[in-house]
Amino acid sequence: MAVRRFAAPSEVLAPRWLAVVVFLGLAGIPFLGGDYWTGQSTRYLCYGLFAMALSLVWGRGGILCFGQAIFFGMGGYAMAALTKHMGPDWLAGSLPALGIAVLLPALAAAAIGYFLFWGRGLGGPYLAIVTLALSIIGERLMVNWYAMGGFNGLLDVPVFSLGIPGFLPDTESPLPMFYLLLGVAAAVYLAIDRLLLSPFGILLTALRDNPRRAEFFGYEILPPKLEIFVLGAGLSGLAGGFFVAVDGFASPTLLGSGLSTEVLIWVALGGRGMPLAAFLGAIATRLIEGELAESLGNYWPLALGLLFMASVVLLPQGLIATPIGCLSGRRASAPATK
Amino acid sequence: MADLIPLLLNLASFVLILVLVALGLVIVFGMMGVINMAHGELFMLGAYTVVAVEGAGGSFYLGALAAPLVVGLLGLAIEELLVRHIYRRTLDTILATWGLSIALKQAAVLVFGPQSHNATAPITSTFELMGASYPYYRLALMAVSVVIIALTFWAFRRTSFGLVARAVIARPETAACLGIDTRRVNRLSFALGSALAGLAGALVAPLISVDPQMGLGYLIPGFLSILVGGAGALSGVLIGAGVVGGANNLLTLWVSPVVAQIAVFLLAILAIRLRPNGILGGRDGG
Repeated sequence: MAVRRFAAPSEVLAPRWLAVVVFLGLAGIPFLGGDYWTGQSTRYLCYGLFAMALSLVWGRGGILCFGQAIFFGMGGYAMAALTKHMGPDWLAGSLPALGIAVLLPALAAAAIGYFLFWGRGLGGPYLAIVTLALSIIGERLMVNWYAMGGFNGLLDVPVFSLGIPGFLPDTESPLPMFYLLLGVAAAVYLAIDRLLLSPFGILLTALRDNPRRAEFFGYEILPPKLEIFVLGAGLSGLAGGFFVAVDGFASPTLLGSGLSTEVLIWVALGGRGMPLAAFLGAIATRLIEGELAESLGNYWPLALGLLFMASVVLLPQGLIATPIGCLSGRRASAPATK
Repeated sequence: MADLIPLLLNLASFVLILVLVALGLVIVFGMMGVINMAHGELFMLGAYTVVAVEGAGGSFYLGALAAPLVVGLLGLAIEELLVRHIYRRTLDTILATWGLSIALKQAAVLVFGPQSHNATAPITSTFELMGASYPYYRLALMAVSVVIIALTFWAFRRTSFGLVARAVIARPETAACLGIDTRRVNRLSFALGSALAGLAGALVAPLISVDPQMGLGYLIPGFLSILVGGAGALSGVLIGAGVVGGANNLLTLWVSPVVAQIAVFLLAILAIRLRPNGILGGRDGG
């Protein structure tokens, strides 16, 4: 509890009771929406996980990454290729493949992150342009990598299976997968919440807000920045791996600038500094898109772009995080930093 | 030799267009600290202006004259409605203009449809050069680009507007204290940068397919050019665009265009990382 005194007002986490309400509320979706919406919501939960990863990297790590989908897609392709027996057989199960889907992007992020951040690392606009270029490179590579399906991607990815007979079977019902992902999302959220309240989380905030001052206090900048980048990449890979197992399809668009942009919008609309708001931002945007896509058609991306623009200018903390911050008891108890 | 000449001429015309795009970007970035991610869409709208004017029965020349005007006016509106509110929030300018670029792209889809369009070049004749035939239009394009680039440099180096503009870049507060209307300078510069993008789009419209997604293909090389050349000085753009655009075209001698583009992006990233002040600048900073 003492830790909270160091949090700046705009940086407070969502109250835990709200997280409980949100996850319990999401658990009710299958009762309201039927099988179609349950299946869709399972995908949205993957996007929500992905958004939480970016809110760590961007909102907390201060790394404005225009290429976060590289890691999502990498996890997705790892999952697809391994479960389709394109790799060694002992990795072809859903769980080992998921492990690789987390590890591979994390290793890639360690290499990319080290290159970008050592010494007087790249920051701000430079980083945004470079990561955008990287995401385009990734997409081009996958389009031209014919062993990985090229432009068409990898089709017919096996459904997720824990390998326990009778449990999470390959049934037609989307329910088991939905609740599995809801459980994973809740567990990940809890872990992130604890991490951000730990001394590491405070150090991250300090580094993001004033790297030079943190450096004068004797903290090294590179290790925590690299750690949060790698963590975010692993989490993105996890989301990508699950997404491909649910969707049954891995394509170059998973890596590209399109999805990288979308996740930025979800996180910005939700609230970059508050993982729960980012998570909700992704789910809400996708739900609204699913509902309105037919009636609005081509006007939807136009509206989304303008909404994104307006929220950046007028409510930079996010459309969801701002009200949560106002009603949050944690905000009231947090005095301004000195 | 016969296929080297067209290659070099293509290289030169690509580099010149890239310089036009990057000049607009660097004016806005250097002067206002605004990263305009919608610059590619301003370029796209320049091309669409030509398509629209030709579609309405006008000539290419009318379209090419209208493009910088239309896009420049749009730039004025963007500055007034959006960019003005987020000066000094550089990272937010990236996000907000990215949102604008999505909206503009979709607006183009709504108005012109998702399919690609073609503009017709005003000059269709070709000439023979050491056994290779080459369109006159590309030569005209290069000449116009060189003139516009020279005019831009002249405006910033030799006119009183340029002096004032460079003062605003160097010390915005001091410039304001000395009675310079920085709002007006910013507004004009943003409109000028936009107009350059619109003109570049209009000039290449007959050479490439005009579609809503065309902006990104010039935005990223444009940005890489100014970062490789060093974002501080206007002349860095010439070097950066020469390196990025030149390497892109030369590499296609040996490898496929896709590989060439990936290689150029990677090399540019490497250059930006190792030489944050530009390849001719110092090692420090960033």
